[in-house]
Amino acid sequence: MFKRKILLAEDDGDDQRFFNEFLKDRNDIILMPSADDGEELFTILGKIDKTGELPNLIILDQNMPKTNGLQALRLLKADSRYAHIPVSIYSTYIDEELMKKGLEWGACHVVQKPLSNEGYNQMIDSLFKVCASIE
Amino acid sequence: MKELEELRFQLHEANETIEAIRTGQVDALVVQGQDGHQVYTLKSADQTYRVFIEKMTEGAVTLNQQGLILYCNSQFAFMAGLPLSQVIGISFEKFIIADDLSLYEESFRKCWEQDCKVELMLKTREGKAPVQLSLTTLELQEGRALSIIVTDLTAQKKTQQQLRENNIQLEEINHALELSNHDLQQFASIASHDLQEPLRKIHMFSNLLKANSKVLSQDLQTYLQKIIDSSVRMRTLIVDILNYSKLSANDHVMDCIDLKEIVNELIEDFELMIEEKKARVIVGDLPSIDANKGQIRQVFQNIISNALKFARADVAPVIEIKSRRVNKKTFNSADDADGPYWFISIKDNGIGFDEKHVQNIFSLFERLNSKDKYEGTGIGLAIAKKIIEKHNGIITAVSKPGKGAEFQMILPVTQNM
Repeated sequence: MFKRKILLAEDDGDDQRFFNEFLKDRNDIILMPSADDGEELFTILGKIDKTGELPNLIILDQNMPKTNGLQALRLLKADSRYAHIPVSIYSTYIDEELMKKGLEWGACHVVQKPLSNEGYNQMIDSLFKVCASIE
Repeated sequence: MKELEELRFQLHEANETIEAIRTGQVDALVVQGQDGHQVYTLKSADQTYRVFIEKMTEGAVTLNQQGLILYCNSQFAFMAGLPLSQVIGISFEKFIIADDLSLYEESFRKCWEQDCKVELMLKTREGKAPVQLSLTTLELQEGRALSIIVTDLTAQKKTQQQLRENNIQLEEINHALELSNHDLQQFASIASHDLQEPLRKIHMFSNLLKANSKVLSQDLQTYLQKIIDSSVRMRTLIVDILNYSKLSANDHVMDCIDLKEIVNELIEDFELMIEEKKARVIVGDLPSIDANKGQIRQVFQNIISNALKFARADVAPVIEIKSRRVNKKTFNSADDADGPYWFISIKDNGIGFDEKHVQNIFSLFERLNSKDKYEGTGIGLAIAKKIIEKHNGIITAVSKPGKGAEFQMILPVTQNM
């Protein structure tokens, strides 16, 4: 079975824990070590770039210090090495502007942060559906 | 003594003559001069014009080519604060303040070629006053003369000054208002975003606890559920406040929207609740109007959801939505097939409320019912009212306890009025 490698950029430790804890038992994904913010995301990508093991999916938290989700999205889509990787933005609160800009700038998915174990799993399921429709 | 008496008589006669001329009773004079009797007809105009000049609120002066006053009406003498006799025969420039003399002299030179107007300060009984002089040459039999109409600009200048001051004040107030509006929106936005993160954590960790709640006693499980319910409620509140504060921004696009379509969409959204409550929604003819679709949808959504929420326990809800075209922006306006407004009514058969609360229900956070019995934040109708007002409409409700409620709106057909 094809396992998608997922890279999460998230500055909140609790949220990193929720994400990894709730999704660790899924057999259709590989959770890469999370990036602590938008800048570290690019450091990680730069390192694995050489090994050719780029993620199949990137999930960005919107509210991160230094480089936020939308800014990271722009940088990813502007970089030919990473532009092909589907990106999802998730945030505690989604307003119209975030939704509009996120989709306009090439995110395939803009969602609210889940509130439970099931919520996290549903988020991944729906993310895969969107990805499948793109692939 | 006799001479004095004679002079006094002559003066009296002269005054009477002048009065007669002034009031337009005389058209010609016969004067005994050195060359015998001479007839002077009043060329300046016929009687109508003389009366007109005398009665008008502007000063009227006639000057000879040396600038001496040959004639003036009583309005000018009144302005100058002198008796007529002291005005006739003296130079007009004596009435101009020193600073404006050169201005006057320039106009006096030019006006013989072309009519002109000049604004300057005149010496008056009250000191000085801004006036406009309109200078026009007159071709009289004795030669050219100059007619000057003197318009007092005091009131006009005062009004202009007042207007300028008011405008400045208005600008300042506007600016302050913009700032505070901006601050308020910033505040609402930041508070809401930043409040949501810790709130979500409370919710998340409570959910984690709940997932392992089998080890907890029944009481503790109830407490835990109350924490979760409260955080859900607070989340709804924050989202509602945020939506309410966003309504202040003036960047909402108006389109021609079909209300019937919106209502049908909403009925689909409420399908589950409608089925559950065995509710019936009767939709009459609804118009298309100029409006912001998202916002008007919100209004209908809030009112319909209230109608379903506040149903009587023993009676299946019936909601009736209808409209009629009217000619005035009042709730009792007469029907008018071409009127500029639509009267839209959403009526239910629910628990209703006492009409003395009608103002309260449209205020922020106002609730008439305990939140234990009926969920909600108390913002829904405040949002509805703000949206309707942004659309230049009005909204009210009529109700009696136990007799259902009817929400009435008046909305303009078009927004470019």
